[in-house]
Amino acid sequence: MLGLPLTFAVPLVLTALAALPAIWLLLRITPPQPKRVDFPPLKILADLRPEQETPARTPWWLLLMRLLLAAFLILAASGPIWNPLAEDNSRTPLLLVVDNGLAAAHDWRDRLNLASERIEAAGRDGRTVAVLGTAEASAALELTSPAAALERLRSLKPQPHLQDRGAHLESIRRLLDSTPDTHIVWISDGVVGVDGQGFIDGLAQMTDDQRVTVLKSERASTLALAGIENAGGRLNVRVVRAEPNGRDSGTLRAVDLKNLPLADMRFSFDGNATETSVAFDLPTEIRNSIARIEILGESSAGAVNLIDERGKRRRVGLVFGGTADQTQPLLSPLYYIERALSPYSEIRMGRGGVADAVNQLIEEQVSILVLADVGGLDRETLGKVTAFVEQGGLLLRFAGSRLAAGNDELVPVRLRRGGRSLGGSLSWDTPKTFAPFTRESPFFGLDVPEEIGIRRQILAEPDGDLPSRTWASLVDGTPIVTADKRGDGLVVLFHVTADATWSNLPLSGLFVDMLRRITALAGTTSDVNAEARAAEIETIAPRLTLDGYGVFTTPPANARAIPRSYAERATGEHPPGFYGPVDSSLALNALLPGDKLVPLDVAPLNARIAPLAGAQTIDLRMPLFMLALILLLADTLASLWLGGHLSNLTGRLRKAGAAAAILLASMMLFTSGFDAKAQELGSRRIDENANPALVTRLAYVITGDAGVDEASRAGLAGLTQILSQRTALTPGDPIGIDPSRDEVAFYPLIYWPIVATRPIPPESAIRKLDAFMKGGGTVIFDTRDAFNNRPDGAVSAEGQYLRRMLATLDIPELEPVPNDHVLTKTFYILDAFPGRYATGQTWVQALPPQTEGEENRPARSGDSVSPIIITSNDLAAAWAVGPRGEYLFPVVGSDPRQRELAYRSGINIVMYSLTGNYKADQVHVPALLERLGQ
Amino acid sequence: MTRVRVLPESARSPGRQETESALSLAHRMPRLVLEARRVAANLAHGIHGRRRSGVGESFWQFRPFVAGEAAQRIDWRRSGRDDRLYVREREWETAQTLWVWIDRSASMAYSSELAQAPKIERAVVLGLAMASSFVEAGERVGMLGLMAPRATRRIAETMAQTLVTDRTSLEEDLPPGAPIAPQHEAILIGDFLTPVRDIAATVEGISARGARGHLVMIVDPVEEIFPFQGQAVLHDLEDGISLRIGDAESWGRAYRERIEMHRAELQELTRRRGWTFTIHRTDRPASEAALRLLTLVAAARGASVGGR
Repeated sequence: MLGLPLTFAVPLVLTALAALPAIWLLLRITPPQPKRVDFPPLKILADLRPEQETPARTPWWLLLMRLLLAAFLILAASGPIWNPLAEDNSRTPLLLVVDNGLAAAHDWRDRLNLASERIEAAGRDGRTVAVLGTAEASAALELTSPAAALERLRSLKPQPHLQDRGAHLESIRRLLDSTPDTHIVWISDGVVGVDGQGFIDGLAQMTDDQRVTVLKSERASTLALAGIENAGGRLNVRVVRAEPNGRDSGTLRAVDLKNLPLADMRFSFDGNATETSVAFDLPTEIRNSIARIEILGESSAGAVNLIDERGKRRRVGLVFGGTADQTQPLLSPLYYIERALSPYSEIRMGRGGVADAVNQLIEEQVSILVLADVGGLDRETLGKVTAFVEQGGLLLRFAGSRLAAGNDELVPVRLRRGGRSLGGSLSWDTPKTFAPFTRESPFFGLDVPEEIGIRRQILAEPDGDLPSRTWASLVDGTPIVTADKRGDGLVVLFHVTADATWSNLPLSGLFVDMLRRITALAGTTSDVNAEARAAEIETIAPRLTLDGYGVFTTPPANARAIPRSYAERATGEHPPGFYGPVDSSLALNALLPGDKLVPLDVAPLNARIAPLAGAQTIDLRMPLFMLALILLLADTLASLWLGGHLSNLTGRLRKAGAAAAILLASMMLFTSGFDAKAQELGSRRIDENANPALVTRLAYVITGDAGVDEASRAGLAGLTQILSQRTALTPGDPIGIDPSRDEVAFYPLIYWPIVATRPIPPESAIRKLDAFMKGGGTVIFDTRDAFNNRPDGAVSAEGQYLRRMLATLDIPELEPVPNDHVLTKTFYILDAFPGRYATGQTWVQALPPQTEGEENRPARSGDSVSPIIITSNDLAAAWAVGPRGEYLFPVVGSDPRQRELAYRSGINIVMYSLTGNYKADQVHVPALLERLGQ
Repeated sequence: MTRVRVLPESARSPGRQETESALSLAHRMPRLVLEARRVAANLAHGIHGRRRSGVGESFWQFRPFVAGEAAQRIDWRRSGRDDRLYVREREWETAQTLWVWIDRSASMAYSSELAQAPKIERAVVLGLAMASSFVEAGERVGMLGLMAPRATRRIAETMAQTLVTDRTSLEEDLPPGAPIAPQHEAILIGDFLTPVRDIAATVEGISARGARGHLVMIVDPVEEIFPFQGQAVLHDLEDGISLRIGDAESWGRAYRERIEMHRAELQELTRRRGWTFTIHRTDRPASEAALRLLTLVAAARGASVGGR
């Protein structure tokens, strides 16, 4: 039209433009609303009549705006189109074939726009349209209205696999049979699919030469990754393209499972080459954690290569012969092994007893089995472990008291019973350190730190082949790490424990390095046959698949499981992605290693070939309507303004704004005030807390019952006095704390009288208490009910309260204080712990059972201080003194020395909580025995 | 477009703020000692010192006793120090009375964005400030129809309280026309937007016995220049008249001529009665009007006693 690339869908509407002058006239004589003005002098002017009553005219700009508005509306209604698609004006049906395989993903948006342009053009010409996505499953084609075809087109997405165009030949044939004059437009990606040239040959037979238009870029621009090879400590990645297309270089990125980038590498094609290779040269640990490699910015499933777990990190199973105490992880040998190995390998913990754990771990296909302080294995388990080792597994054992007591044959050398202690109190020796590693040892090259000291070890029988099996030895030549080959596997033995009881080796960096070297020796192909057998029958379901853009999604509904031995390209049914459980995934890629992209030859079709660029058709209706709408809004505002309503509105807005500002300011003021208050509070709290950190002091829990709290305070004050007089400890003034609010970490000992009428402390207080007890603090719970309790009577209210309170706590096993408990020896030698009453029982954490050889020790202790002491004797009441030193409460009992004994109990408890099991040490044995008169 | 606003009725009674600004305005005024127009022995006694001995409160001088005088006039305290007898003489003091009236009708509660303050606020401030200044200068101030003359130091507060408690004068456009004493003076502050003949009747009533007075016309700038354009509906605040005008601009020209005429008539009226006429626009500072008013009052006195 007029030489412009502009057409109108409904040109008749344009005649309405002739009505514009009429609109102009109409608008011109309609004045705006008069404004109201308050004006006091009116009274004296009553006789002054207006001279000129002509209404003010509508301002010219408002007039122009309204005329423009009308013009825009008329123009928009006439449906103008800029750059209409120059199409042969045939009215024949249209078949749109869209390639949506992996080669089409990176410029999918352009292809989609091009396709919608075609369909819209067909819609304007009133043609019916069928849409075929070549990577979809083949289905019957149906000519539909352009709107429905557009819907169908929008539902097409690039698929993450190579398309099989040949599968659609049959449906195209059927369509052409029913409507022979169908025009075919093929938006092609220019890359040969699974079927090779078959589609083109088939299509050429079906169509006359003039009915096909192929839209393709001159050169297929796809880049893809085909195959990854892990060789020579490097990861080689193959980048392929269909033909030289000018995209000669780019960046590959390696990403781990959590999508964190690990490494970037540049790649470039030489000249006309269609494939190139990039090597990732990375440390093993990083290389092992690569889960996918992608071409940056390509966003296509073909440009992503997934790497599965096969042969990457070693899986290590840990088994401990003893029972590990979960609350004290530092005492478990597995803790040190796990900390040393977890950065480099995958750790599996054995559950249950030794036999169960070993079975479970072998079934989980660990490649290294660690037995820490496991003595003999039972026959069945032994058989399994032996088979595991002979099939290439690595068995790593650590010594310990159980192994010292007796061992099975799965050790590299013959061991002597019992151990050898170096540097004990009855020995002249000092702890031994390592000799430098020999050249034959796998540890060769590691530096031995000076401070390594072995205090105890298991000795090997001096056999002839002992030197050849020794990987590390002490400076005196005794082997400390030995190893032996069994079948395809290895048995390695550390002659020390994996925890810090026999040596400080597990605390050193050397331990980590040694374990890493041992891990590297573990075979990768454990139980190959079994796996292959399993793979034939086992099918694994898709877990995480790639969509056409190379982004991980949940598997689509049509994704099917694959057998574990599947080694084909991804297809529509088996989209690329990870299959199977997280720890034994199979990666399925869009292209196989060795695949090539081949350019498509469309010459046989003898078709019209057009470039991929679209005609840039713009439908001007939307912008025109938008303009009209904006003008309408502006007109409304202008009318309001001319009528004087806008000023009211702005006044109101201003008021509202002022109110909002005031509100905001006051809120800020309030919050800043609040902050200041909080800061004040915080500083006060810090001051309060600074004191307890500087001075050791006893603490009691404020129960809220004033009498009990005062008794607690006075009692601890009395005990503090006695402590200062008799012991080296001079505690500060006792302090009352609220465990839900105050920090308790500063106090070694907390006295908690139970008042049954008070509410149970909140959960936060209980959790804090738990942390306090786990962290080495001691809490004395005093139910103060020994007087009313009979031995077989019902549990008192205080007792029930205590039980409820402790129900959610991780309380260790308790026992009445045994006679040889270190608590009875810490300062005074005591039999009982009386308070105001003497009849109550005192409970502490149960000690571990006596070990042999320790029967005659007068004092026994566990590894730590008992976190909890429960008594019912009302200790604080017995200790309580008034301001003049008078006792506040009488003691109930026949023994005149009961108060003295109560003080002694208090001193012992404080000493126990401060010094721990120090009195249980051997050094004190003679003095204690003498005192006890034995 | 000039915006105007009409204040609510409560704003037409002075509050703390008006009183305080009136006091501060009074403080800024020069201290004037006003001459009494006519000296008469039967005037009320005031603290207005005449620099000569006479009837008054404050000490003027001791003079020797003259034989024949009444013995009770001897000041024995002073005479006891000396062999001679002394008489204590007091200064001759007289006071002048001013009557203030402030227009508080609805048309005063009017303000445009061109003005510094609403008309009513300016009128109250001016009235109270004048009263305060005069009392400080030793005069007595009353309010026409509301308050008898008095010379209290807290005159501004007293007047403000009187105004607040009085509700009837809120509707009055003009003061009561009752005559005041010939030597008194009246100060009428308002917008005087009433027909001139009504004003003339009032002024003549007040000055029936020969009293003098001053008219202060408070004008909002909008009332003078009429800056509106286009179509408008004008509303009167008191009588509820409204006037629809098609072209405010052309109407404004007629209006300005008309208001000029009104003022000229007022000028003529005051001149004939020997009063003064002051126009104060609310976009000017209040001190301007206050100063002019003080000068006018003083000049009126000066003229009358100029021969002395």
